[in-house]
Order: sequence, then structure tokens, then C-alpha cells
Amino acid sequence: MTRRALLLAGTSLALMALAVLVGPRLEGAEGAFILWQLRVPRVLVGGLVGGTLALTGAAFQTLFANPLASESTVGTTAGATLGALTALALDLPGGFPVLFGCACLGAALTSLSVMLVARSGRAAMSDVLLAGITVTVATGALSVGLQYVSDSRALVAAARWSLGQLPQVGYEGVLVLAPLVVPAWLVLLALGRALQTFAFGEELSASRGVNVSRLRTLVLAASSLSVAACVAWCGPIAFVGLIVPHVVRRSVGPALGRVLPLSLVTGATFLVLCDGLARSVSPGRELPVGVVTAALGAPALVLLLFRARKA
Amino acid sequence: MKSLALEGVSVRVGARTLLDDVSLELRTGEFLALVGPNGAGKTTLLRALLGLIPTTAGRVLVGTEPLSALTARARAAEVAWLPQQPPPAEPVPAREAVMAARYRFDETRAVTRRAAEHALERVGLAGRAAAPLSELSGGERQRVAVAALLAQEARFLLLDEPANHLDPAQQGETYALLGRLLESDVGILCITHDVNLLNHVRAAPRVAGLRGGKLGFTLELGAPELPERLSELFGVRMLALRAGSSRLIVPAPPDTPGGEP
Repeated sequence: MTRRALLLAGTSLALMALAVLVGPRLEGAEGAFILWQLRVPRVLVGGLVGGTLALTGAAFQTLFANPLASESTVGTTAGATLGALTALALDLPGGFPVLFGCACLGAALTSLSVMLVARSGRAAMSDVLLAGITVTVATGALSVGLQYVSDSRALVAAARWSLGQLPQVGYEGVLVLAPLVVPAWLVLLALGRALQTFAFGEELSASRGVNVSRLRTLVLAASSLSVAACVAWCGPIAFVGLIVPHVVRRSVGPALGRVLPLSLVTGATFLVLCDGLARSVSPGRELPVGVVTAALGAPALVLLLFRARKA
Repeated sequence: MKSLALEGVSVRVGARTLLDDVSLELRTGEFLALVGPNGAGKTTLLRALLGLIPTTAGRVLVGTEPLSALTARARAAEVAWLPQQPPPAEPVPAREAVMAARYRFDETRAVTRRAAEHALERVGLAGRAAAPLSELSGGERQRVAVAALLAQEARFLLLDEPANHLDPAQQGETYALLGRLLESDVGILCITHDVNLLNHVRAAPRVAGLRGGKLGFTLELGAPELPERLSELFGVRMLALRAGSSRLIVPAPPDTPGGEP
């Protein structure tokens, strides 16, 4: 298992490094510019975002005691999207900090309300998911409403953003995202032992010394904040947090001491590779990376639902 | 010697009274069996002693200190819990399930792992440490749960029907193991439906009867009036039978005359 974990981590990191080579061959000064100012920052931002989404997904699956929980299925992404869209559609001044603030508020509110449903006693696995879907649908309707009332310039900006994409010039994205998501990673990774104990049941973990309300607050806060930062910068990118932890668990087993850090690394690589695919599907034109993750994630979700039903 | 005690504890949920002014003390080195019909409030009593549910009246004390004043970790050093249901059949290795019970310790993973393996050894599962729970039988999973309880190394052990899912030989072994633990100065409170299993505990256990959230009696296992009090508690005639040096208390089959007493 340990060898397999190291192999998975090594392969992921190598693939991520190789991802800068995806695309036409680079030569001369122009090539250097493309490599260092376009491709490398894009891979780094992809890594930061993909890692965040997958790590959050792994933590949520334990916290909600539900293999289908992730930031995109329980409504965190949807909440952040609604918050950010409000800022975009209303053309609020203030740039990224305001966008991020709105996304954070939306993410925190939805995570909290879905968590309340999950805690309401006899909530089954599907109830949590239904609550998340409800939030997502409501968010969709509200965003259409918002777009209806906003002017055309804001509308174009909002529409482009809401497809989820990674392109950028220079390192601003890395500098903005890293200080917001890396502390959240550290918090979530540090909670690995508490989450592992929690995985055997909420009350049992409380009797074993886990401060459950503190654990819940920390996971929700760290996840909402970091997912909101990713959504505010790149737009909503679905399914990364749902698929990656499952793939990781299948290869190294369910122990969270391995699943959490490996989800982080594998999630980073997964999104970077999806973005490579998005860049190279049709020459001269790019797909938004959110389209690629959704195209891969939707069938994966169906597969997981089938499995869950069989079990 | 230390004690874990309920002092006039009541627990109400809505209009229902689950525990009604219960006072009970468990000391280290002591084995207390809690019996009563289904719905008597036995599990609620355990959950109150664990600090998992708020009490409506009264207090839970560890020594002289209220349980609620302790941090979650400090509480886990005092009381540990074996729930009624064994751990679910998931693909988690048995060792990992036991390691989770060591959360309260600030120690390296290697130390946790050794402690977990030692605990599995004590319940006769030494060779199964790496086996996923999904590949273990119900009885084996129950023993994993007992190993986890031991691994937590708490002063008071609260068990909810530990003989569930076990065959007769393992039931006896589990109670004998619990009896041996008393020597290391722990206190044990154990919900059971079968007082005869207490014959496997060497030390003289006490039996507390709970019905409708009220404590009816607390008696020594050997007390002459125990069969009669159990008859009243369960609303079924109980017979006392002699088997070697032990006394067995069993529900009377239909149309059985006499019996002792």
C-alpha cells in the first residue's frame, strides 16, 4: 500500500510537470514567453485549484459520511458561484477581493445549510445529495435571474466566467490563490487523524476524544474559503472533488492518512491534465476546462450511484 | 479508587422521560451489569455517562468533577464506549479501526499501531490485523470493537451488549476478559440481557435493574432475591437453577411448575 501510494504521488507529480509540454513546440524568445508566462502559471493555478477541489471532496465525503458528497454535489460550488455571479452581474466595483468575498459568503451559507440537513437526524445518504441538488438548481435559477437584470457587458463577463477556465498571463493567479488555499490545505491535512476517527461514527468519535463541533466548523470553514477562492478566480469547475478521492481510495485503500494528501496531489494533476485536453481538443481553439471535467465527471457520478445502489 | 457517578440524573426529550432521577455509582475495580426490558433507558443511561446527551436534571461526575467540565480528550481518558452495533463491514483494515480509538493519545503512528495490534492480540485476532472489516464475520467485527475499547485505555468502560453477534464460547471469553481487566483498576458498566454470562467474571459483579427510566434495584449477583427482582423487572417468571458452583437464572418455560425459588 505504501509503495502504491508513493507510486501514485510520483506519477502525478511527473505528469503535472510534463503538462507544460502539451501544445505546439516552443522555440526562441516567443517560446520562452509562452512557457514561462502562459503555460507554467496555468499549470500552477490548475494544480492549486484541482488540489483544493479534490482535497475538499475527500474531507466532505468523510464529514458527511457520504461517498457522493463533494463541494460540487453538496452545493458549496453552487453557493460560491451564486455569490460571485451576483458580484459580476451587478458589476460591483472592487475587483477580485469583492468577488472573493461574495463567493465566500455564498459557499459558507450553502455548506452550512446542507450540513444542517445532514445533521437533522435520520438524513439518508440521498437526502444530503438532494439538498445539494436543490441548492444547485436554486442557484442556477437565481443566476439566470441575475443575468436577466444585468447589462450586456456584465452578462458576457459572467457567461465566460461561469464555464470555468484556467487561462492566464503571468503569476497573478498563483499569488492570489496560494495564500488563500494553501493554509486551508494545511488545516484539512492536519485534521486527518480527527477525520479518520470521525469516519467510524460521530458519537463514537466524540467518545474517543474528537471535538466534533470544532472539527465540523474547521472543515467547513477551510473548505468554503478555499473553494470560494478557486471559484472566484476560475469559475465553477465541477466533479473534481467527487471523482479524484474515489480513484485514490480504490488504489491505496480508505485510510485518510493516505487519501487526503494523495487526493491533493492527484486532484492537482487531474485538473492540469483536463486542461491540457481542453487546450488540445481542437487546434487553435480552447474548450473551458469546466466542460472537460463535467464531461468526465457526469458519467463517473452515474457509475458511483450504480455502485452505491448495488452495495 | 475513583468513581463515575450519576447524581439525580433525568433526561427528557420532548414530552418523553427517558431517565427519571437516576443515581448510580461505578467505582474502579468494580463490574456493574445493567439489565432491563427493551426501552428501559439503558442505552440512554450509557450515553449520559459518556456525555453524549445533555441531562435535563442532575449531574454526571468523574470523581468530584463534573464530566461536562472536561475537554473531549480528557473525557476519553475517563470513559470509553462499546456501542451496540459492531463497526460496519467496510474495506477498512481491522488494525485501522482499532487505531482510531487511540485518538486521545499524542503519539507517533508506529506507537498507535503497536498498541492496536496488542489490543487485537488480546481479543484473539492477532493474525487478522490487516484483514478488512468487510471480510470479517459479525463476531470478529464485534471483537475488533472490543479491541478498540481496550486500546483507548480509559478508566471506565461502558459496554452496550458486548456479547452481541458472538457464539457461546466467545461470549464466555469476552466476559472473562472483561473480568480480568478489573485487576488493572478499571471500572466496567455493561448492559446485558443475560445475567448468567456474569458467572464468567471472577470478581463479584453487581446487577442494577432499570425500568421505565427508573432504577429499580442494585444487588450482588449472588443475592438470593435477584431471581424474583428480575421476574418483576421483565414481567416474566424466572427460575434459578444450580450448575456446579454457579446459579443460572432463566425464564421459565410455559407450564413449568415450581422451581427455585
